[in-house]
Amino acid sequence: MSAGQGQANRTSWSLAAPALALLLIGSIGPLLIVLVYSFMTPGDYSGVQRPFTTQAWEQVFLTRDIFDDTLGWADAHMTIFWRSVKLSVLTAVITFLLGLPTAWFIATRPPDRRALWLFLITIPFWTNLLIRTIAINEIIRNEGLLNQMLLKLGVIGVPLQILYTDTAVLIGMAYVYLPMMVLPMYAAIDRFDTRLLEAAYDLFANRWQALWHVVLPVIRPGILAGSILVFVPSLGAYVTPRVLGGGKNMMIGNFIELQFGQGQNWPLGAALAVLLLIAVGLALTVYVRVLGGAGRADG
Amino acid sequence: MDEATRVYVKGASKRFGHGAAAVHALADVTLTIEGGSFFTLLGPSGCGKTTLLRLLAGFETPTGGRILLGDQDVTALPPNRRPINTVFQSYALFPHLSVAQNVGFGLKMQGIARAKREARVDQMLALVRMQDFAGRPVAQLSGGQQQRVALARALAPEPRVLLLDEPLSALDLKLRKEMQIELKRLQRETGITFVFVTHDQEEALTMSDRIAVMSAGRVQQIGTPREIYAHPANRFVAGFIGESNFLPVTVADGAARIGDHRISLAAPADPGPATLAIRPEDILLEPGAALSAEVTDTVYLGNAVQIMARMEDGTRIALRQPATIDLPESGQRIGLRLPAEAVQILEAE
Repeated sequence: MSAGQGQANRTSWSLAAPALALLLIGSIGPLLIVLVYSFMTPGDYSGVQRPFTTQAWEQVFLTRDIFDDTLGWADAHMTIFWRSVKLSVLTAVITFLLGLPTAWFIATRPPDRRALWLFLITIPFWTNLLIRTIAINEIIRNEGLLNQMLLKLGVIGVPLQILYTDTAVLIGMAYVYLPMMVLPMYAAIDRFDTRLLEAAYDLFANRWQALWHVVLPVIRPGILAGSILVFVPSLGAYVTPRVLGGGKNMMIGNFIELQFGQGQNWPLGAALAVLLLIAVGLALTVYVRVLGGAGRADG
Repeated sequence: MDEATRVYVKGASKRFGHGAAAVHALADVTLTIEGGSFFTLLGPSGCGKTTLLRLLAGFETPTGGRILLGDQDVTALPPNRRPINTVFQSYALFPHLSVAQNVGFGLKMQGIARAKREARVDQMLALVRMQDFAGRPVAQLSGGQQQRVALARALAPEPRVLLLDEPLSALDLKLRKEMQIELKRLQRETGITFVFVTHDQEEALTMSDRIAVMSAGRVQQIGTPREIYAHPANRFVAGFIGESNFLPVTVADGAARIGDHRISLAAPADPGPATLAIRPEDILLEPGAALSAEVTDTVYLGNAVQIMARMEDGTRIALRQPATIDLPESGQRIGLRLPAEAVQILEAE
């Protein structure tokens, strides 16, 4: 390496240093704190105190019956965890199904029009998430816009109970995370060579075959990025399930918050947070391995 | 020849856009492509040759006219239902598939069983001499190799007609020459009708059974390479295929007149003003001939010399002579003879 390159390297390192330091302190620091807290004892009112114990981790999986003191599986935790995973996967699937045609539409507009469409996609980000979620609440609640319209039109006789169900959470999350799916898929489709589509049609593929055998495999990196960008924040979603799901349809994010608030059990909250992190890490590794390598082996 | 592989284009036109902004890419083109022949659509860019190819493939539908494959009207059939395959200019190989998977794609879409498909893929890869590359990702191939895979992929479903859209334009000269021979061999071995689009007249002359020369959305002339070169139908064809001199003449009494000089004609021509076309290599040097020109420049070409000269009326003329002649000096007067059998009379400008 020449002296000039060494100089350039040092310069780019020092330019990146503030951001790297911020990321290091901002992500590694809290992470370590959470990890340590998960091995401590709940404080008398809140917070944590010594001694160090694995009690919180036991509580994640096992629960002690308040009457006969026997140990059983912590079913409630598993239910909440399972609901979170299910809703997050469904959110990713719904945003994919809605996002693919949208991204395709934008990518096939004349180049000078695409910026406008992308701009429109990002407009919802201008408003606070809480406000937008409350607005969705206004639409789907029993006396809300949707039910009033359907009642007036005579489609239904009694209002549909959508609010405070999993469906409501799903609608809210699909709405919130749709742009996260559209943007990376747009980037992938924009690079897609449409002549490949002509080649597929020329070689006897119908529209569905062309989509399945050519378009989807070629834009796979975009689908991968989009689904991760939707799935991961969905899994930790807090505002949307709180406003639209009510108290009963909790997701893991709400449950963790509960431990740090009313529950006054910080170590349990910390243990759940670490578990969530590990679960996301594992799920993503498997997902990228499987989908990232798929399509090469089929003949 | 087999009727099922014969292609009829009947009065096909293609207009893009509407009203004043409309572009007539193709205007009333009628031609017949014999089954099992090597047919070339030749013309400069924008002449409509690619549009015609896309009509044959089914990527575009004509705004007028019909396209028949044998006795079957395919005008309204989508590309996936035409027994016609295409070799694309950009190859358009599927980047996520291996060489063998690319070649087998059409067969898979047709629902052909895996065992039969694999046998056919092996056969096709052998035909284009790419057996050793079956498992490779296409991104690792050179341009010439990609070209062969694209050919194998288009030939694998045994199309009745193979369309080739300037497939050699991205290759370097040496590879292009090799692929010209290769394509001709493939066409003979498979017996499939090849419709080849190119703007390269040399490529067209060396490979084709018949050539349709196109310009401005119309077919200017259809014929064998020899017919088109020796007897161009009009000034466009004469100028586009090889080089030609165009001399203003007056036709009378079965001869063409340039000033006072009389040039006898082999074929009868209508009296009146006309354009005389003659190839540079057909003009003979004849010391002392009545028709003369003043040399303005000479260019050594290796196997020949090109002599540029100016005739008495100011018309420029180019001659090509064997490199063995004594080169005339600039300003020297040379006598010319235009042999009757080499002279072509075209419409006056």
